Amino acid sequence: MQSALELPIELMAGIISGSTSRWRSYAALILGRFLMILVANWVGLLPGVGTIGITHVDEAGHEAVIPIVRPASADLNFTLGLAIVAFVMFVYWGVRAHGGWGYLKELMGQPLYMAPLMLPINLISEFSRLISLSMRLFGNIFAGEVLIATMLALTTAVVFVLPLAFFVPAVFLGLELLFGLVQALVFALLAMTYISVAIAEQSAGHDNDHGEADVAHADDPHAAGAAPA
Amino acid sequence: MDSNLAAGLAIGLGAIGPGIGLGLGVSKAMEALGRNPEAAGAIFVPYILGLALTEAIGIYALVIGLLLMFT
Repeated sequence: MQSALELPIELMAGIISGSTSRWRSYAALILGRFLMILVANWVGLLPGVGTIGITHVDEAGHEAVIPIVRPASADLNFTLGLAIVAFVMFVYWGVRAHGGWGYLKELMGQPLYMAPLMLPINLISEFSRLISLSMRLFGNIFAGEVLIATMLALTTAVVFVLPLAFFVPAVFLGLELLFGLVQALVFALLAMTYISVAIAEQSAGHDNDHGEADVAHADDPHAAGAAPA
Repeated sequence: MDSNLAAGLAIGLGAIGPGIGLGLGVSKAMEALGRNPEAAGAIFVPYILGLALTEAIGIYALVIGLLLMFT
């Protein structure tokens, strides 16, 4: 039991400690984020979550069930909050590693005369991380909920002809268990990669600009390699 | 009613590109894994990251679809 619970933590800890040499400073944030999203994803698969609620009738006479307990990741407010925290985290680490002016210089690109073109592009790409982080988690978990509900409705309609309703949704439930794990992993990995990129971006062209930031992680062979878009 | 059609078209057409991209990415990763099974640990993290970043394109189509449906 204990080893089963420690399995995701060990997986994540192995990935984090393999990323950069400064992993200790943000490991707790990433690990906590990972476990929180994992639980939030899997809670939605429990029976009764999102289905037991108070029936509410509006003026037009439409009935709608307002659930008492809703799956957290299928709500955009939750994922957007998580993404905003991740955004603040990687901007904070970037500013802390480069200084405010150094971070601005990163946004303006390498030849300075290209800055009017590069600055908006880089700003948009920074903010699109916010949108893609939150919408990815929300979209996947919400689509999973809808998928299971649709499968259940389709198979229950023919349950007296073919007793598929006992098997088909179970397959998708298993699939959603896997997706919940993968999405939690993806969110934590992307947040970690954004932070390590923000810390380690400056090494290429202008080494002399920021003194102490370079000394802190000059011996960091993985930092430049772990950079995605 | 028009926006329902537009939302369906947005997510349907928008899923083509990421579908092809994910297929290419997974096929290349499996190829690499078949040639060099010991590299599984080294491939895993860039693989997941690449899939997540490819999938983001599909997520943008989903955003447009949701915007069309609910606003």
